[in-house]
Amino acid sequence: MTARRALAAAAGAAVLTLPLYASPFALALALTCLLYVGLAVSWSLFSGPTRYLSLATSAFFGLGAYGTAVGLGTLPWPLLILAGALVAAALAWLIGLLTLRLRGAYFAVLTFGLSEVVRHAVTYVEKSVSGTVGRVLTDAPEVPTIYWTVAAIAGAALVTFRLVQRSDLGVALRAVGEDEERAATLGVDPRRVKTVAFCLSAAFAGAAGAAMAPRSTYIDPSSVFNPFILFQTVLIAMVGGPSKLHGPVIAALGFSLLAEALRLNLPYLYLIALGLLLILSVLFLPAGLAGVSWLNRWFEPRPPRMQPDAPRR
Amino acid sequence: MTASLFADLAVAGLITGGIYALVAIGLNLQYGLLRIMNIAHGEFLMIGAYLTYALRTATGWSPLWFVPVSALAMFALGLLIHRLIFRRLARLSLTVEELEERSLLIGFGLLFVLQNLALLIWGADLRGYDYLAQPLEYGGVIVTANRVVVFGVVVALSAALVLGLRLTMIGKAVRAMLQSPLGARLVGVDTRRLHPLCFAVGLALAGFAGALLSMIYEIAPNIGESYTVTALIVITLGGLGHITGSLVGALILGLVESFGMYLTNPSLKTLLSYGVFVLVMLIRPKGLLAR
Repeated sequence: MTARRALAAAAGAAVLTLPLYASPFALALALTCLLYVGLAVSWSLFSGPTRYLSLATSAFFGLGAYGTAVGLGTLPWPLLILAGALVAAALAWLIGLLTLRLRGAYFAVLTFGLSEVVRHAVTYVEKSVSGTVGRVLTDAPEVPTIYWTVAAIAGAALVTFRLVQRSDLGVALRAVGEDEERAATLGVDPRRVKTVAFCLSAAFAGAAGAAMAPRSTYIDPSSVFNPFILFQTVLIAMVGGPSKLHGPVIAALGFSLLAEALRLNLPYLYLIALGLLLILSVLFLPAGLAGVSWLNRWFEPRPPRMQPDAPRR
Repeated sequence: MTASLFADLAVAGLITGGIYALVAIGLNLQYGLLRIMNIAHGEFLMIGAYLTYALRTATGWSPLWFVPVSALAMFALGLLIHRLIFRRLARLSLTVEELEERSLLIGFGLLFVLQNLALLIWGADLRGYDYLAQPLEYGGVIVTANRVVVFGVVVALSAALVLGLRLTMIGKAVRAMLQSPLGARLVGVDTRRLHPLCFAVGLALAGFAGALLSMIYEIAPNIGESYTVTALIVITLGGLGHITGSLVGALILGLVESFGMYLTNPSLKTLLSYGVFVLVMLIRPKGLLAR
């Protein structure tokens, strides 16, 4: 236990001090890793326990990024991140209002569809009201600032995931995921817990988008509402296994490294490989890396309790 | 709005709607019947379109010859994919919901594989060829000849499908499975043979539609997605597992898009179709024709 604590502390310290000595390339790589840790963990926060497959991550991310693009220069940096989170949460509330009564594939498809609607709406508004196609981001913060912001978001996502998992909300969410009617009979308000978790999960994606926007000097709807962000997030969470914390973290590290290695040189082959990997992981690793027993023993040494709703410690 | 403009819009809407119908019926066979939410359905349409394009430019023959070729190729691919992936998936999944979720993820994977394969082979540029592009005029309505051909083929195939489902034994078996999967097995429908067949026929319809599409539009590796979404909207509109409903829903959506784009703004096309989708989901979640 103490050895693992020490190791975690050392890893955290290494992550936080990286901008002080790492090369720009290594820093960019670490930033991508942290971004996908944050996105995948926050996605799992809602979709893991409820098994509602949300495909709206790109919309939350993109909206956060657009908030930064509009407000950069007028609002202070922390406020921009907060605004991204709030706007994304508000959008999630709206999408949830329309979709959270649907189950299964319909929910997934409609969230994907609504995020396309958001992209088209932003494009339309930019074209007809603002008279622009994209936006140029001037006086962007330094890379280390962005890095520490994204690290904070990823850290907050990890902590929130754990807190929710251990709270009453987490129990209610798992109950909804297992049998919604039964959960409702037992006094859970499915609509409320689903909405809360969906908005919470979206807030992190929005904050991440807001923080990542200044990484490129020019953004337009097709670059920040990119379905690739969604695809990579879902892939990482599913390959990692959305029910546990360490799965998505390991998968995020692995995929970000793989992406950097392959994406620039062989972009199409990289995406084909990702697609195949997703198919294979669904077929042969249904619970993800989190279902691999030796990994579980290392990260959660105590055997899992039989009643998952009993509070730990 | 003048009468000829009205007719123009109606004809355009019906032609688009006809293509939507083929794609949607294909998806309905997979989702309504097998509960496979094949989000990569439109990608098979795209592959069919490229196949026709490639054969047409290589041989110079009429693309009509390659419509059945594309359909057959997608049929074979469908049998292969069902054998390799979905048969195993159906065995693994304990509940219908699990099957839907997992097939959605698999579809996502297939989408990325097929789209990037097309990008690798044909590149990202728009491709097209000229076929019967001369205009025809009848009573003030002007349509290019290729659209008339496409519409004729679509109507013939849809009629054949609906009749086939009503009159043949296989059609009866398929309808039985749509009504009650368990009941169909109890009365002796061989689901193990029919499931791969239905999946493959679904993809064949997508390939067929893609081949037709390549005659009237330029194609690119990313055209598939919008058709998948449209097909989903249509099967929601027409009702899950409801083949005639898909046909009606597709024509309605084609008309809504055609008139809606004229009355508002072409860049709002996606918003319009999603508007219809959300509205139907909220008001009649089981489809317009559901009893």
